[in-house]
Amino acid sequence: MTVKAENLEALMKLSLDGDQRAYALLLQETARLLRPFLTKRLNAGCEVDDLLQEILLSIHKARHTYDGERPYLPWAYAIAKFRLQDHWRAHYADHLHHAVELSEVENDLAEPVTESAISYESISGEVQKLPPKQAAILQMIHQEGYTAKEVAEKIGMKESAVKVAAHRAYKILRKILER
Amino acid sequence: MANIEDLIESLARDAAPVKPAPHPLTLSLTWVAGAALYLVLSLWLSGLRPDLLQKLHQPWFLAEAAALALLFIATALSAAVLAFPDLHQMRKTAWAPAGLFALFIAIVVFAWRADLPPAPLPAHSFECTVSITLFSLLPAAWTFFSMRKFASTHYRWAGCVALLSAFSVGALWLRLHESTDSIVHVIQWHYLPMLGIGLIGWWLGKTLLKW
Repeated sequence: MTVKAENLEALMKLSLDGDQRAYALLLQETARLLRPFLTKRLNAGCEVDDLLQEILLSIHKARHTYDGERPYLPWAYAIAKFRLQDHWRAHYADHLHHAVELSEVENDLAEPVTESAISYESISGEVQKLPPKQAAILQMIHQEGYTAKEVAEKIGMKESAVKVAAHRAYKILRKILER
Repeated sequence: MANIEDLIESLARDAAPVKPAPHPLTLSLTWVAGAALYLVLSLWLSGLRPDLLQKLHQPWFLAEAAALALLFIATALSAAVLAFPDLHQMRKTAWAPAGLFALFIAIVVFAWRADLPPAPLPAHSFECTVSITLFSLLPAAWTFFSMRKFASTHYRWAGCVALLSAFSVGALWLRLHESTDSIVHVIQWHYLPMLGIGLIGWWLGKTLLKW
């Protein structure tokens, strides 16, 4: 069921008066409208769901700042954009935190990461201890035989990012195996 | 998707009646009235400058005080608008202080050029900045405390404008209290510190108004 935009204001007014059914309907409609907005801007589906939940919580927290007199959608989208920017900020900060110097990996970028002297089976136990993304990449490359490019396409990352993740995983494995 | 449904259900269960926040005009009017009362009380306690009546007949002094008062009102209104996630759909109002800042700077520059021969510099210097800052603490704390109850999506700007609003009341108080004729001193120790105050507000907004 879809609700006309002008009815969202009425639903919010009822919600502010404590009408739980109207509020549930309003949040459902808001989620339905925001999902394509977020899907366009984010890569992974799980990220969309997480952020959508965060936005709904923010709408709930800030609902007293809406009076039911002005259009609802600009208010809801303002909160959605705000949380999306927060998400990106955190995302890029995390990426920067885990960034690898280009000089550190430039030799590896040219090398075929799908070839290795050690068999995957002999170290699969250690691979499983790696962070899930790195473990999945190594598994796809060495067990399932995908190229870095194919892995990138499959998991929605850039090829260079897959190579960097693989490089990082090799570094960790090398340290473990050298012990 | 199931998680979203669960969340909606749980939020709807919590949906107790909520009193909508006041309109930004009402909110800013409360701040302006409160700060005006504080200004009058402070002037009553600290005393008006002895030559105030005479100074009010000087066009540049009058223009400067009026622009400062308008700046205070515009920043209070802008801070109230910025406290709402969608700026209460009054985006242009949020920008109101920009024009007044330009006007204020122009007036101060003209007052400076009209100060011929230049009035002698007073013996004191940074004490003025400290006095204005101390005076501004109470209105600033009140504004920030009120704004925390809202949901600003422009918290840095909101903090910056809120602190400038409080500082402009302080600057107005000192201008009406202290008998200083040197516009150079006033620019240097009363108005230029506003730039630093704006930056502190920017940081405070990020720290105190993030939700």
